[in-house]
Amino acid sequence: MLAIAAAAQQPGAAQTVTPANADLESARDLLRTNLQQIAKVKLPMATEPACHFKA
Amino acid sequence: MAKFNFTDDIFFGTISEISTALRTKEFSTVELTHAFCDRLEKLGPRYNALALSLRDTALKKAKEVDREFKLDRVRSPLQGIPYGAKDLLAVKGKATTWGAKPYAAQVFDEDAQVIELLDKAGAILIGKLSMVELAGGGGYRFPSASLTGPCLNPWDRTRWSGGSSSGPGSATAAGLVTFSIGSETSGSILSPSAYCGITGLRPTYGLVSRRGAMALSWTLDKIGPMCRSAEDCALVLSVIAGVDYEDPGSAGKSFHYAPQYARKPDEITIGYAPIDFDESAEPSTRAGFQEALKVVKSLGMNTKEVEIPDFPYGPLVSTIIGAEAASIFEDLIRSGKVDELADHRQAQGLKTGLDISATDYLRAMRVCALVQQAFKDLFLNVDFLLAPTKLTIASKITDALDGGAAPATPPKSRGLSGLIPAGNLAGLPAISLPCGFTAGLPIAISVVGRPFYENHLIAIGKAFQSHTDWHRRRPPVTQ
Repeated sequence: MLAIAAAAQQPGAAQTVTPANADLESARDLLRTNLQQIAKVKLPMATEPACHFKA
Repeated sequence: MAKFNFTDDIFFGTISEISTALRTKEFSTVELTHAFCDRLEKLGPRYNALALSLRDTALKKAKEVDREFKLDRVRSPLQGIPYGAKDLLAVKGKATTWGAKPYAAQVFDEDAQVIELLDKAGAILIGKLSMVELAGGGGYRFPSASLTGPCLNPWDRTRWSGGSSSGPGSATAAGLVTFSIGSETSGSILSPSAYCGITGLRPTYGLVSRRGAMALSWTLDKIGPMCRSAEDCALVLSVIAGVDYEDPGSAGKSFHYAPQYARKPDEITIGYAPIDFDESAEPSTRAGFQEALKVVKSLGMNTKEVEIPDFPYGPLVSTIIGAEAASIFEDLIRSGKVDELADHRQAQGLKTGLDISATDYLRAMRVCALVQQAFKDLFLNVDFLLAPTKLTIASKITDALDGGAAPATPPKSRGLSGLIPAGNLAGLPAISLPCGFTAGLPIAISVVGRPFYENHLIAIGKAFQSHTDWHRRRPPVTQ
């Protein structure tokens, strides 16, 4: 995973994007976008994680 | 006894209908099991719906059940009923592949809890049914993301069955099993049920034990029935629900089907958003959805227009599943075997899950707590929510699943858009009910309720199905 990440960041990688790298980049873009969306939610400090649903 | 001629009336019969025929000795359990196994083995591969036939163990069980019937030993309405299970459920001594090449040879030495409960109830497991690999963890791009290939829709084999409980959807719709067991993390019971024209029930989180099922997300995974009718869902849920101290997510609750205690329609307020039945839906489906809304209104329930609370449901589900799945499948990912998956995009998605930080994950889980509170508040004003299960018909099997373009102009209202991920984040039960056809393919509506309101959901489903016959339609299956 780390090796793949390093390879993707090498200069010039963008010019020779293979389908493999394109899929990885697309997955990373989606993750970044998702995290940005979640970061926009106003979160009171006292809110605890919903680790288990309770009725 | 003359050999019974098994027709489509049996293959597409409900649990009650087949149970009655077994008890009145129209045919034996062994004969029924033979007939269903023949059909599943012959037609299952045509739809890529069959992962593994269990004919030998099924026939052994069928003989046991016939002996019990002779002694008038009644276990449950499922006694002698043939069913299939999604291949993420462990069956002792048999391959349990999770739909993925890296696990193709995996065998467990214990049954999953739901398999054990169904066995005790006398149900006959005739096959493991296909699924999207690893239940779609990582995010797959094509319907072909499965060890068994793209699962085909019995209504049109150029179309997808939906996923990730693809085999249960397709096999139940094609009359290859009387009911099936699927699982849902975010849409995997409701979506294939809608696309294949069957009735699927997603139980409240924790109502059904997940022991022996592949974990994709500890905080979101649920197991539930996929059947021919709302009442069949009730009969199956009665057997599989219950406390399991070996499942950390078990809610400590059970389910007893009690239609006699269902609320009267005029005591119920159902929330919906008109936009969901109109401009948010694919144009060709709108007439069908609007007709279904009319039927619901004619049942005598009060209706109220509502809008879903404003949260980024898709990103939340994706982040939570991404982080939990990366932890669950960390060895697979780090070993490089993840690249053996059929869907390249999915493999990369699983790898990316390792990049989600603890604070990212915890933030998503904290927002999830706000979602749960927001739905509690919403249910102060309405008892149930109603929306199309899917806004489109099943896609073509060659279509990319991430190819949908964003609307040119944003919708006037959120409506109840995102109810599938939202309902999963909030742990809410839901039932998907077939409500019509567009271009020969099924469409469906969903009713979502408060936690542990399964009895009420089933009552609404039963009322809807007593006024419609969409759930009794049969696809053009040829022998």
